[in-house]
Amino acid sequence: MAPEPPLLSMSGITKSFPGVRALDGVDLDVQAGEVHCLLGQNGAGKSTLIKILAGAHQPDTGTVRWRGDPVVLRSPIAAMRLGIATIYQELDLVGHLSVAENVHLGHEPTAAGFVVRRRAARAATAELLARLGHPEIDPARPVGRLSAAQQQIVSMARALSHDVRLIVMDEPSAALDPEEVDNLFRIVASLTADGVAVVYISHRLEEIRRIGDRVTVLKDGRAVARGLPAKTTPTRDLVALMTGRTVEYVFPERPAPAPAAERPPVLQVRGLARAGEFAPLDLEVRAGEIVGLAGLVGSGRSEILETIYGARRPTAGQVLVDGRPVRPGSVRAAVRAGLGLAPEERKAQALLMLESVTRNVSVSSLSRFARAGWIDRSAERGAARAAVRELSLRPDDPSVPVRTLSGGNQQKAVLARWLLRGCKVLLLDEPTRGVDVGARAELYAVVRRLADEGLAVLLVSSEVPEVLGLADRVLVLREGHVVHTAPATDLDEHRVLDLVMNAHPVASEGSPAS
Amino acid sequence: MTQPVSPPRGGTDKTATAGRPPAWRSLAARADVRTLSLLGVLAALIVIGGVTKPDEFLDTRNLQLVLTQASVIGVVTVGMTFVITAGGIDLSVGAIVALASVWATTVATQEYGVGGVLLTSVLVGLGCGLVNGVLIAYGGMVPFIATLAMLASARGLALRITGGRTQVVTVDSVLRLGERDSYVLGIPPLVLVFAVVTVIGWLVLNRTTFGRRTVAVGGNPEAARLAGIDVRRQRLYLYLLSGLCCGIAAFLLIVLSGSGQNTNGNLYELDAIAAAIIGGTLLSGGRGTITGSVLGVLIFTTITDIFALNNLPTDAQQIAKGAIIVAAVLVQRRTAGTT
Amino acid sequence: MSPLTSRRGLLFGTAAVSAGALLAGCTSNEPSDGKQAGSAQPAASDTPGKHVTIGFAGPQADHGWLNAINDNAKSRAEKYSDVTLEITEGSNDTATQIGQIETLINKKVDVLVVLPADGKALTQVGLKAMRAGIPVVNLDRVFNTPQAYRCWIGGDNYGMGLNAGHYIGEKLKDKPNARVVELAGLDNLELTRQRTQGFDDALKNYPNIKKVARQAADFTVESGQAKMAQLLQAQPEFDALWNHDDDQGVGALRAIEQAGRDDFLMVGGAGALSAFQAIKRDDSVLKATVLYPPTMAASAIDLARALGQGKGIGGLAEFEIPASITLYSAVVDKTNVDTYMPTGFR
Repeated sequence: MAPEPPLLSMSGITKSFPGVRALDGVDLDVQAGEVHCLLGQNGAGKSTLIKILAGAHQPDTGTVRWRGDPVVLRSPIAAMRLGIATIYQELDLVGHLSVAENVHLGHEPTAAGFVVRRRAARAATAELLARLGHPEIDPARPVGRLSAAQQQIVSMARALSHDVRLIVMDEPSAALDPEEVDNLFRIVASLTADGVAVVYISHRLEEIRRIGDRVTVLKDGRAVARGLPAKTTPTRDLVALMTGRTVEYVFPERPAPAPAAERPPVLQVRGLARAGEFAPLDLEVRAGEIVGLAGLVGSGRSEILETIYGARRPTAGQVLVDGRPVRPGSVRAAVRAGLGLAPEERKAQALLMLESVTRNVSVSSLSRFARAGWIDRSAERGAARAAVRELSLRPDDPSVPVRTLSGGNQQKAVLARWLLRGCKVLLLDEPTRGVDVGARAELYAVVRRLADEGLAVLLVSSEVPEVLGLADRVLVLREGHVVHTAPATDLDEHRVLDLVMNAHPVASEGSPAS
Repeated sequence: MTQPVSPPRGGTDKTATAGRPPAWRSLAARADVRTLSLLGVLAALIVIGGVTKPDEFLDTRNLQLVLTQASVIGVVTVGMTFVITAGGIDLSVGAIVALASVWATTVATQEYGVGGVLLTSVLVGLGCGLVNGVLIAYGGMVPFIATLAMLASARGLALRITGGRTQVVTVDSVLRLGERDSYVLGIPPLVLVFAVVTVIGWLVLNRTTFGRRTVAVGGNPEAARLAGIDVRRQRLYLYLLSGLCCGIAAFLLIVLSGSGQNTNGNLYELDAIAAAIIGGTLLSGGRGTITGSVLGVLIFTTITDIFALNNLPTDAQQIAKGAIIVAAVLVQRRTAGTT
Repeated sequence: MSPLTSRRGLLFGTAAVSAGALLAGCTSNEPSDGKQAGSAQPAASDTPGKHVTIGFAGPQADHGWLNAINDNAKSRAEKYSDVTLEITEGSNDTATQIGQIETLINKKVDVLVVLPADGKALTQVGLKAMRAGIPVVNLDRVFNTPQAYRCWIGGDNYGMGLNAGHYIGEKLKDKPNARVVELAGLDNLELTRQRTQGFDDALKNYPNIKKVARQAADFTVESGQAKMAQLLQAQPEFDALWNHDDDQGVGALRAIEQAGRDDFLMVGGAGALSAFQAIKRDDSVLKATVLYPPTMAASAIDLARALGQGKGIGGLAEFEIPASITLYSAVVDKTNVDTYMPTGFR
């Protein structure tokens, strides 16, 4: 055995769930003070691996060594006692409790063994928050009132409130805007300087390049590459390892003649506004056209989509489909007029997780398969199967439960729902969130094909390259105002980020989309 | 506003390609296992009954008796299953049965004969369901609170109507429905009604848009809303349906007991919820089974029957009932695996 | 919708009814049906005397018998021009009832009549009233200590079971290997256990009779029907049935009718009008019922009035009313049903 064993060493880890072999002999070594990145597509086994590391799952076989000694991570508490903390992608905070209460949940500073010393807890929390670069978060504030980014900071403060030697971060940057990501990286750097090890999971290769030391790539429950240098391994190699093929971050070609003015506008938004969320907005989307909305978190992107869709009631303005006004504030009216939404939070807002793909796809078109309320199930199955095939959703058996699908295929199920409904306007909110690189390209191709078939698409994404690569025309938003409108080909990422983050108003540059 | 009710456990990492058909097959098998385990419990009870009291238990009359006693609470449970499947709860079912049964047996109502009694039962049930539904769907009240309020007021109104007196039914055509000479091929009319309600309930839940929407609203109300379902109207209909079932059950109870009393339907809400839950309907919504609920009711009624035939006291029956609920839910957790 | 449209005339047992009281009775807004003054003579002198305010607190009248208690108390009080009855909204909740009685104490009523939802739990408030100088007439469910009441009047649950047992015993004494079954009331009430005890003790006198089954209903028609249906299935043959309560008896009779059984005799309990009528018609298995007379409430009002006026009871206790009065649980069968018919409650 080497004189200095790694901080953590996992070897030969296997784990099966009914019907799925999630891990098939994974090895992982993490040194103190390094940022070790875990790469892999959805379904590669990353989440299972970190749950084993957090003590939430028990491996079927394999050993875990901590500073060279074999250990059994029987429970999350056991892992925490060793100094392993995990920050999950879906944050596990209690919304009604205050920041300080969340940070010290389960290990409150007490007097006489049971009286919680609230003042001490708050002071300690304030100190941790300051260390994390967020002294502005009030420890007494209920966590439910904080932004997503702030909640993540609280989650991190909770990890640091223990004597932590290893922090696992599961896609920590997913909900953050660039400025927040910078702060996150600063925190990671200061942690590793103190000798803390970080296991970092992200889809974004550029982040791994910036802060990673070594990379382990998982595919189909195996570690296909271990300890690669994070900064120098070529992207092409990493993608090849993850996907088993060489795929670039490809966008489909735009149709040769741009879907232009001769096509009629399908979606028209006139002066639509919600006080406090976004200013009066005008836009048009023509048949066959993809219009993108670019902007930071908090710029009002999702709110705009949801208001167009009737899920929020506008304070002013009008939405028209094919020239006919849609009753405001009514999802049903919007759906009947031909709108369809693929919302940001797929699991919470779109999918019936206990149900099959078929039922998830048909839920918006039930009356089509029903006579006097009676569902013709074979017609339903057939139509769902056709929609699923058209979008090359995998597996192509629509009777599987939707929760067994990967993120990209779940998104396709949502798209299939609207395809089946025969909608005219598709509203996409962060369509590739939680979708791995390989599946993204396919999803982009699907969206473009739907547009080519005559759908009007309105796209919202926090990933600028996605908006620029997929959309025909881009509206740049800042703080609820459209600050710029241009064909996507006239913009680049730098220009958009400049517009999005520019402090001084550039409203004069923006012209109503038309 | 809502998270998926039951976050998929067992690793979000499951690929479709890795698992494929087995995952789905095992789900189908699990659904069967759940029903089979209930049938197993029922079979075990029948064995116990047959061994302890072979003559009295294994007897046509006893079968008629068990099914008859099950029919009132059974009809209520079918309605309750819909409400729970949609993520709601109806605590007022017992009180609605009481109110409908006394309203339908006042001297004035009885003057209109069997039609008047039946119509009044059903209308009172629907009326209470309408109030529940409007308060919950459009008034934004939590189902627990709204139906708790209905429980209190319906019981109060029932007491106000009877003044604590038992209202005896004098309409012959009503009374005759509960007696042997109106059995159809040996099947009591009450049991026929129960069977019809069960079959219709099963078809509606599993084969109609109404049932699909019920499941969607229960599984993920936000997703249902964004998929274009009118969630509020669906909720209104569901409480109306539960009220309708209570009205039918009240009529059955009138026929069975030959009277209306404000104490009728005592603790039906708990019996109906318990039967639905041991049947496999998720209390958090999104999954419901009429077959399971009916089996749950039959299990409870059979326990009561076996205990009474063996002359065991009420307290022992209650203890056994509690134990069965716990055991059934534990068994299901085992067999149901990840959900 | 009015529950019961039949309006029965008020039955006043005594000839000497003051015109004022009659008027009060007729113009009362209370529904008059089911209100029986009973055939019993008022126990105390009915010549008007000093004005007495009587506070009355009872459980919620959600059952025929309890309803009859309220009616008896009200109609008897209306009979006296010198009595004002302060009646509280009935409650089954101990805390609520304590509060209601304390309100009556604060109002300084002259005498209290209390039918506690739970005798033991209300002892303290009885003591409090007594210490405040308000005599308490404890009706039926007895307080823990005699210090908490001036006078107790109530029924005899043990005697009820005893008399039912003796009645059945006499009917079956010549039948070898006779079998009886018991349909009891709510098992967690003391009175149910007393009734069963009395019944069992009486049957000990008849070695040829065996109690073969007992099931507890809960005083409701619904439970009476369900439990009786089970008993009938469990016991294909028996000779007599003792049912604790005529209200649940409505359901029990229904179950008997549905099973088409008439091979036994049934004895009820309490004294409901429907039971009396069935006994008189003699067309069902119900042959007798054992009284637990709600007229005790009327008697309690008489006692309270006498206490308030400092009188005794003529012919019984001339100067002071007794400390305790236990009513007799008479058996009513076809031979004497007409006598008791007016006291039957519905």
